[in-house]
Amino acid sequence: MAFVAIALLGWPLWQLTRPEADAAPAPRATAPLTIKKAIHLHLTFTTAPKSLVIKHLDGEVWKVTAPEVDLEKDVSLDYPAEGVDLQFHVEWPEGGPMAAMRVELTDPAGDTHDKSVWGKGIVDEVVTFP
Amino acid sequence: MHFVKTSLLSLIAFLAVVMAAQAADKIRVSSFSTILTEIAQQVGGDRVEVTGHVKPGVDPHEFEPKPTDLKTVGDAQLILLSAKHMEGYVGKLKEATGTKGALVEVGDGFATLKMKSEKDPDKVIDDPHWWHSVANMEKAVKIVRDELIKISPADKPAFTDNAAKYLSTLDGLEKWVKNELAKLPRDKRKLVTSHDAFQYFARENGFTIYAIEGISSEDQPSSKKVGEIVAAIKTQGVKAIFPESIENPKVMTEITRETGVKIAPELYADGLGDEKSDAATYVQMYKHNVTAIVEALK
Repeated sequence: MAFVAIALLGWPLWQLTRPEADAAPAPRATAPLTIKKAIHLHLTFTTAPKSLVIKHLDGEVWKVTAPEVDLEKDVSLDYPAEGVDLQFHVEWPEGGPMAAMRVELTDPAGDTHDKSVWGKGIVDEVVTFP
Repeated sequence: MHFVKTSLLSLIAFLAVVMAAQAADKIRVSSFSTILTEIAQQVGGDRVEVTGHVKPGVDPHEFEPKPTDLKTVGDAQLILLSAKHMEGYVGKLKEATGTKGALVEVGDGFATLKMKSEKDPDKVIDDPHWWHSVANMEKAVKIVRDELIKISPADKPAFTDNAAKYLSTLDGLEKWVKNELAKLPRDKRKLVTSHDAFQYFARENGFTIYAIEGISSEDQPSSKKVGEIVAAIKTQGVKAIFPESIENPKVMTEITRETGVKIAPELYADGLGDEKSDAATYVQMYKHNVTAIVEALK
């Protein structure tokens, strides 16, 4: 009976008291946490594009085919105090005139920032907010 | 009649010889920066003969011209310098060569950022590493183009065309850089480096620089200093550090053990690498640096 009790308690006791085989890994320098926050995007176009893709940190956040000239959407992004870079891929009709897209971004603090992207045909541009 | 014919033929032959000699007579350019050497070659094309006195891989901070360099500079029609006090020998260079060529201190055309002197940390000096801003590089191309046109106005179309092609390449690089850096959150754009050479890069691309002294030097920094470095790395959440060279491995080991940061690949801070490196051209150098930074910090 005593043997069974020792055997039953021994394993957890050994687990708790055994020396560490390896040194504990060095604590990682921890980056300040950024949590996803709601932002509002409002886009207006001089000419309706064929398609639009918006990426953040290489991940797609909004994709629209044949959008209207005025559209808006709420999206969730990691939005650090330093701001964000959004990657825009806009396809305007080939052979069309110079076109423009106005981007209004309302940040988590409620402040609105606007930037413009100009181009013809296919345009890839990174826009920094604020 | 025979006399007229002979005279005309002689005149034509003489003009042909003069024109051929002019065509062969390339503009002699002396450059004291690997970056400016590339610009002069790209813009000047086959109309220039460029001597790069500072070779790829050589530290321009340590470079001193030799007598052979002085002779070449004395014959040059255009002398290109980085400026912002990178070439401490510029006064001697002017005096010793008595050059009649145009001496252009390219970097003086750009806004200056300040940095701590490596030789005397109490002193603040101009940061000479302006080429880490692609926008500055584009201005430098235009400066070199205009100087070459002043020397040889007849070659204006060629220099203008060459410069436009090179500027288009730089424009493409700028777009590539923006796209690559868009993969890196703005709150992770913290560059901890032992050589304070990336301020122009940082300002253009939203980075904060933390220059840590003592990692690359042979001097043993105090334990207080190491403690400060460790605290800064932990507070800022930095994932990697970019030492220019590791001459103090004990300190480096202590920092990595205490913080868990990794040692990132070496960045090209002072100019182009040699032709066998992955930074033999400006575009390659810039892509190497950006790729290393993004990979290490994301």
